[in-house]
Amino acid sequence: MTRKQWRKQAAGCPAMFIDIDYAQVKKYNQNAYGDYFSSKRVPGRVIAVLSDGLGSGIKANILSCMTAIMLLKFIDAGADIKKACEIIMNSLPVCKVRKISYATFSALDCRDDGETHIVEEGNPQFIWIRDGQVLETMPQIVPSETFSKRKMQLYDLKLMDGDRLVFCSDGVTQSGLGSPELRLGLRRDGLIDFVLKKIAVKPDISSRELSKTVVNFAQNTEIDRKAQDDISAVSIYCREPRKSIVFTGPPYHNGQDGKYAALFKEFTGKKAVCGGTTSNILARELNTPVNIKVSFTSGSLPPPMEMEGADLVTEGILTLTRALEYLESPEVVVNEDAAGQLVRFFLESDCIDFWVGAKLNQAHYDPSLPVEIEIRKNVIKKISKLLEEKYIKKVSLQYI
Amino acid sequence: MKQIELKICLGTSCYVMGSSHLHELVDMVPSRFGDIVNVVGHNCLGQCSKNLEAGGPPYVQVDDEIIPDASIEKVLQYLEIKLK
Ligand code: FES
Repeated sequence: MTRKQWRKQAAGCPAMFIDIDYAQVKKYNQNAYGDYFSSKRVPGRVIAVLSDGLGSGIKANILSCMTAIMLLKFIDAGADIKKACEIIMNSLPVCKVRKISYATFSALDCRDDGETHIVEEGNPQFIWIRDGQVLETMPQIVPSETFSKRKMQLYDLKLMDGDRLVFCSDGVTQSGLGSPELRLGLRRDGLIDFVLKKIAVKPDISSRELSKTVVNFAQNTEIDRKAQDDISAVSIYCREPRKSIVFTGPPYHNGQDGKYAALFKEFTGKKAVCGGTTSNILARELNTPVNIKVSFTSGSLPPPMEMEGADLVTEGILTLTRALEYLESPEVVVNEDAAGQLVRFFLESDCIDFWVGAKLNQAHYDPSLPVEIEIRKNVIKKISKLLEEKYIKKVSLQYI
Repeated sequence: MKQIELKICLGTSCYVMGSSHLHELVDMVPSRFGDIVNVVGHNCLGQCSKNLEAGGPPYVQVDDEIIPDASIEKVLQYLEIKLK
């Protein structure tokens, strides 16, 4: 592989990264969420659905969950988002008593190049923010063939680097309803006001944090902080991807050490090295010392090391194996040991490129060792799968 | 007198063979020998793949000399003789 090809492959990350996350609060005194959010990152795009089920509690939960998942599957299976939404809209039943639809939804299909399609049926209109200002777009309206009062709005947008979208359920826009200050609730204007202020204070706030603050704000707006409806917020932030590489294991051919060390040095994102021998190679090739901070502190892992030009340097297989355990646990526990720092490194990146040296360390397969040492390649495979599926990262693997 | 550098290997092989227990040397050595010995952790010293006849991991390196199968007693003894 030439350097140019290599760089192209290593940069297998799109120019724009779509950071998407959501937050929810249940209606006061309910034990299930009546809103449901589901999203999926597929190559080149992100699709997501937020649905609000009629009523609250378990019944609403089932309605919204079914709507969101069906719709997501539909779009994922290759259906055009408009078509998919139309079919769902026309088939969603109407509540006999209240004469309104069983579930409302917002669906989104957002591509890496910014081309975005949004369909809304019954949910509050989303907010589109660019450079600290709200952009308004006119929707195309599609009435339902089967239900006279039902219609959906279609929007086609072209998102740019730095743009944000905020979606919410009506629990947000109606929060505070009936209070002396907000007799009509927060409404969309109140929400816009809040979000713009928040972004002004913290321009690079993550989607996770923004949706959390919106939900908290809505709950605080309610009288006595008792949510009168399910409150959900979804936030999207288009930004430059945070790229990083993890260099682990010595390259198969000794002769390549210099080349990879140079590529490592050139890389502009964040860099981690996992492996004593690997760091020794880099130290030798780049002529920078590796130092261990001898604070033989926490736990049962070799401590992290320090090297100029790398953000994190750890021992190899033991640390990786432990990091895998952390990532597998349902609640990520991030200890302060080297594996914990590695996990944090992963979570703070969007696109992670693993350079996996294929050379085996014979010493690790000495039968007299008291523990069994896994093969690096297998551990990395498991880690990358988890990062992709559970933590929605973009991961690439290169064996060198 | 020139300072002596004592490296405790914290590479994978040495670590699983118990070099983590050697961290007590960080306090023990200075209290016994003073500042003449500087104890540091180090990543793989490259010994584990050499199949040394003399002994296996964990390794400790004192200046240029390698101590295989290092234990706290062994290292202290070694320093004792060296510094005499
Ligand atoms: S791990 Fe200690 S010498 Fe290799």
